[in-house]
Amino acid sequence: MENSTSKFINKLELSSSPHIHSKWSTKKVMWFVVLSLLPPLISGIIFFGIYQLLIIAVSVFFAIVTEAIIKKIRKMKITIDDGSAVVTGILLGLVLPPNFSLTATAIGAVFSIAIGKELFGGLGFNIFNPALIGRAFLQAAFPVAMTTWTKPNFSVDTITSATPLAAYKFDRVLTQLKPMIIGNIGGSIGETSAIAILIGGIFLIVVKIVNWRIPVSMILGMILFSGIFWLIDPIKYPNPLFHLFAGGFLLGTFFMATDWVTSPITAKGMWIFGFCISLIVVIIRIFGGLPEGVMYAILIMNAFVPLINRLTEPRTFGEK
Amino acid sequence: MKKVIHIIATLTIIGAISGGLLSIINKWASPLIAENKNAETEKGIFLVQPEGKYYEKINTTEIEIYKVYNANKNLIGYSLAYEGNGFQGKIRLMIGLTQDLTKTTSLEILEQVETPGLGTKITEESFKNQFKGLLAFPKIEWIKGKPPVKPNEIQTITGATISSKSVVAIINEGIQKARSLKERGLL
Amino acid sequence: MKKQVSYWHEFFKGIWEINPTFKQILGMCPTLAVTVSAINGIAMSLATTFVLIFSSFLISCLRKIIPNQVRIAAYIVIIATFVTIADLIMKAKFPVLSKALGPFVPLIVVNCIILGRAEAFASKNPPIRAILDALGNGAGFFIALTVMGSIRELLGSRTILGYQILPLSFEPLLVMILPAGAFITLGLLMGISNSIIERKKKIEHNTLIEKYKDKMSSTHLSIKSSN
Repeated sequence: MENSTSKFINKLELSSSPHIHSKWSTKKVMWFVVLSLLPPLISGIIFFGIYQLLIIAVSVFFAIVTEAIIKKIRKMKITIDDGSAVVTGILLGLVLPPNFSLTATAIGAVFSIAIGKELFGGLGFNIFNPALIGRAFLQAAFPVAMTTWTKPNFSVDTITSATPLAAYKFDRVLTQLKPMIIGNIGGSIGETSAIAILIGGIFLIVVKIVNWRIPVSMILGMILFSGIFWLIDPIKYPNPLFHLFAGGFLLGTFFMATDWVTSPITAKGMWIFGFCISLIVVIIRIFGGLPEGVMYAILIMNAFVPLINRLTEPRTFGEK
Repeated sequence: MKKVIHIIATLTIIGAISGGLLSIINKWASPLIAENKNAETEKGIFLVQPEGKYYEKINTTEIEIYKVYNANKNLIGYSLAYEGNGFQGKIRLMIGLTQDLTKTTSLEILEQVETPGLGTKITEESFKNQFKGLLAFPKIEWIKGKPPVKPNEIQTITGATISSKSVVAIINEGIQKARSLKERGLL
Repeated sequence: MKKQVSYWHEFFKGIWEINPTFKQILGMCPTLAVTVSAINGIAMSLATTFVLIFSSFLISCLRKIIPNQVRIAAYIVIIATFVTIADLIMKAKFPVLSKALGPFVPLIVVNCIILGRAEAFASKNPPIRAILDALGNGAGFFIALTVMGSIRELLGSRTILGYQILPLSFEPLLVMILPAGAFITLGLLMGISNSIIERKKKIEHNTLIEKYKDKMSSTHLSIKSSN
């Protein structure tokens, strides 16, 4: 009798909720994300040279070191092996212009982790995407260096170092679609090749790390909003496909906006989030002083995530 | 009733004393302030007309323009103060013009609120020097990323294209107004 | 009867204990807007301190004469008078600084530090204490603005008070002289000052626990200290 009771008790879960555990640990997720970031990283190295690997390495190194130091100061467990600092470091490196200064890269990585993440309480508590916070800081700190682009390695004479968006905004030159899909255009290290980003992004969706709703709503939103302007005046405004493949839109769609911590948790919320980002991107690109606005659009919508979550909270059955 | 009188009396006395004090200070300060402002304008006028020694304000309400004379009291040109929109706010500048209003002699930015480090480069010598002896007829043009080829062309600043273009647009508009004054014989 | 604090404390409290910028969080508008360089911060805080001292002194002298119902109106007239005096003096004697500070000198009228000290302190205390309090708060404001201006000038243009400190090879962080840099600097400085206070509190807390622990153990009672 006594024996069977203890056997029964052993079968009981004696911990507080939640009791259902996902097969995904943070660690596993982060390393899958790192894997999915390899295609854009490789495309960056192919088009802009091996030096770009050094930029990514510096960014990752400083991200890890900053995280370790801050955890140590705050007397918390050092959690570098969960890979989140590595992901932030790689993402930051990918959105920097090719041949960027290594010192500035280090400053950006430190800022990303220290101010963008740890100051808010660490992984899971940050309001804004840390890599984009780092980039926004660098953009404000070194505006000239951050908009100095390199010619891609296989460029034909007609292709300049200017990004397609800058070329369109300032010189009214519409870049061909083919080089934009392959990645043979000016731009940040990891944002130029649409194919490479799609490989990594679709991999993330297939293994269900990334919810498909955010990328799909962003892409649909982009086609819708830029399409409206294109239909109004096809000469003045570029076509939706150009908007889709230009600049950092795809990289932002698959790797930045889908960040678990800084995106809504409800399905409806994800649709609102994605559409709003696209709308802000189109507004900034068409009416703004800067040619590109994906970074600011995502950061602005990051701030609205708690509000979106609250507004789209599912009702209890029967509740009015 | 007594209370009300007290309130009115206190406020009146405080107001009167404060007004009196301010008028005394203002009497002392206003000539100094006017002097500072004059000195600033004068500095601007002669900065853009290096040979100038004397100046005379032209009596018109349309634009702020000065006739500038050299040491022998011969007319050498005009100094035109004009303002317009930059990238972030108003740019106010002083431009020196030759007698026939076809060439600029020099440029000075008086006030600007452009982005620090980018738009503020319009106040740097390397940009302003482009306006020394620049042909302004029919108007000044700009070119991006390449050294200028035409005699009426300047190169915009990398990263501050909008601010550079604004400066050119402001100057062109100012010169246009000056020319219309001249046509009517008011200059 | 209120406990009388020493004159020294009346002055010193403004620098740290109730520092207008870091503790009272007053006067944020000039703090954020003009501190692009150390000299701007110094000029702004000196102008504010000038107004603060004279208006506090005068309000303290008149505290028994001014009727309660119109006291705010009376204070504002007094403050505005001194602000206008400061503005005119700066325009006449320091035109360059006055231009750099722009509308923020006339805006001292609505600076909460001044009206705050008038309401909270000068209207209830004798003139000597009011002056000391104004001096202390002014000094606190001066330190805060000078530190902020120095940090932003150092990182944003490599200089402090116009003297070059960092080598030319240091690429200036332009963000520091933009509004974003002001918010970042202020936030970090506030964080540092708060963490110093937290630490101080924790130490006090711990010593208190230790004290009681000794007392308890002397009475043969065991107690677990919960940190």
